[in-house]
Amino acid sequence: MYIYLPIAEVSMHIGVIIGLGGGVGFLSGLFGVGGGFLMTPLLIFFGIPPAVAVATEANQIVASSVSGVLAHMRRGNVDFKMGGILMLGGVIGSSLGVVLFSFLRSIGQIDLVIQLSYVVFLGIIGFLMLTESMRTILRSRKPGAVRGKLHQHNWLHGLPFKMRFRRSKLYISALLPLLIGAFVGVLAAIMGVGGGFIMVPAMIYLLGMPTSVVVGTSLFQIIFVTANVTLLQSVQTQTVDFLLAGLLLLGAVIGAQFGSRASAILRGEQLRGLLALMVLAVCFKIGYDLVIQPEDLLSVEFLK
Amino acid sequence: MIRVFVMIGCLLGLFATSAQAAPTRVVADLSEQQVGITSSYHGTELLLFGAVEGIPGDDVIIVVTGPETRMAQRRKDKVAGIWVNVETNIWENAPSFYHVYTTRLIDQIADFETLTASGIGTASLDLKVAPERKRNSDDRDATPAEPLDATAMTGTLIRNLQNMGLWKIHHAGIKVLGDRLFRATLQLPKNVPPGDYKIRVVHFRDGIAIGQETTDMVIKKAGLSALIYKFAHEYSLFYGLFAIAFAVGSGWLAAVAFRR
Repeated sequence: MYIYLPIAEVSMHIGVIIGLGGGVGFLSGLFGVGGGFLMTPLLIFFGIPPAVAVATEANQIVASSVSGVLAHMRRGNVDFKMGGILMLGGVIGSSLGVVLFSFLRSIGQIDLVIQLSYVVFLGIIGFLMLTESMRTILRSRKPGAVRGKLHQHNWLHGLPFKMRFRRSKLYISALLPLLIGAFVGVLAAIMGVGGGFIMVPAMIYLLGMPTSVVVGTSLFQIIFVTANVTLLQSVQTQTVDFLLAGLLLLGAVIGAQFGSRASAILRGEQLRGLLALMVLAVCFKIGYDLVIQPEDLLSVEFLK
Repeated sequence: MIRVFVMIGCLLGLFATSAQAAPTRVVADLSEQQVGITSSYHGTELLLFGAVEGIPGDDVIIVVTGPETRMAQRRKDKVAGIWVNVETNIWENAPSFYHVYTTRLIDQIADFETLTASGIGTASLDLKVAPERKRNSDDRDATPAEPLDATAMTGTLIRNLQNMGLWKIHHAGIKVLGDRLFRATLQLPKNVPPGDYKIRVVHFRDGIAIGQETTDMVIKKAGLSALIYKFAHEYSLFYGLFAIAFAVGSGWLAAVAFRR
């Protein structure tokens, strides 16, 4: 059964949409990631206009983050103070991102910037994750491994406006999470992702937060960043396809349950290694499309 | 089926007034004047049928024209190893949909000049194209961009729109019965642009257009898809808030439902 998506103005098979939601939901449950970095390129691949894919995916991530954060809240794994400052930065950053997105779209370069952002950020994160998980896997085979320090101090900790974050056991400048939040917010708005895959490593390696609170806090702030993107895109560009988001959500909710059950089978570093390979695969696919000559150098876009 | 009888009635009426010199009469009707793009829309077909005061060897050409739309045509080039849009031209008034149906190969019906003079084919459209104006903050009153030679560039636009399935010629897409009745199945692709459509039926004899008839058709979103589209465009703030509330609600519901 085909369904006509009123905002995307594309007709898609309902099984494909729910299947996409389910497949990406399974992987996000398995790896504990939002899955936006998979879903947005897939939607574009299936013919959804990039602007609609990015805005609609933001709407869907609101739901999956709410669903995810509740479990972390029950276990007390959310640092609300840190999350609040990251969120403040994220809302500023994503607002800038939406403006930047509209501008790039008007000059016909949005596809390029989306593709380049994916190649650069997925490439970096995938590479770092892969080397880290390989090291852990290799080290775990050798007995007597030494644990590192809780976190290291560098020049970033010398910035002003210091603030105490009890839940994260940190006393650092508030500017740091604000800037990280803003930077990830810009990317989230342009790439159609929650930004967890950048936020989580940034929280661990730049802020030095304990890993137990990282995922919950990241999910908490992603809710507000993606809600902000949903609202701004709805008002400015009318590119949020509610029907598409709802159907993706339906698949994702079910897929995520199976995924999180399946994740118990594998060990953490094995999961991270697999996730890294998947991230790199998406990065290479998008990079490859940028490098090979398109079938037709000319393309037509209807202007409204 | 009732329509067929009505149509035959019209045809019988035509016999009385058949005159060679005066333009011949053409009647045509569509199976649907209004096409709704509902949630289950995945392309559709319409039946166009009618009658001409024909003799053996006559031809019919049908031109289905969609609403004019501004289009940006972009050209990619290799920059630092990757393919980047480097040039944009704006087509001001090209039809978003242009399908032509004929009784046989179009160049066997009439020559190019005659077809163009009769308003058939993309060469008969008075297309306007100009380079996209550069957004420079310092020359706000810049003169409009110099128009480009549309005739020379139409070929590339045809190619692009053909690949999108929006411009097309259906050779021998019209069936003629007894030299007088004709019937064509009009194909509306799944990406059909909504708007006001014109359907022109032209009667050809010996390479000359001798009669024509125009009928209108409207394609618009309907049902749930119209409702969502209208909500998104007219009440965009509430739409955005509603989309967020829905996402928060369903996310919460999922967490509760699957809580272990």
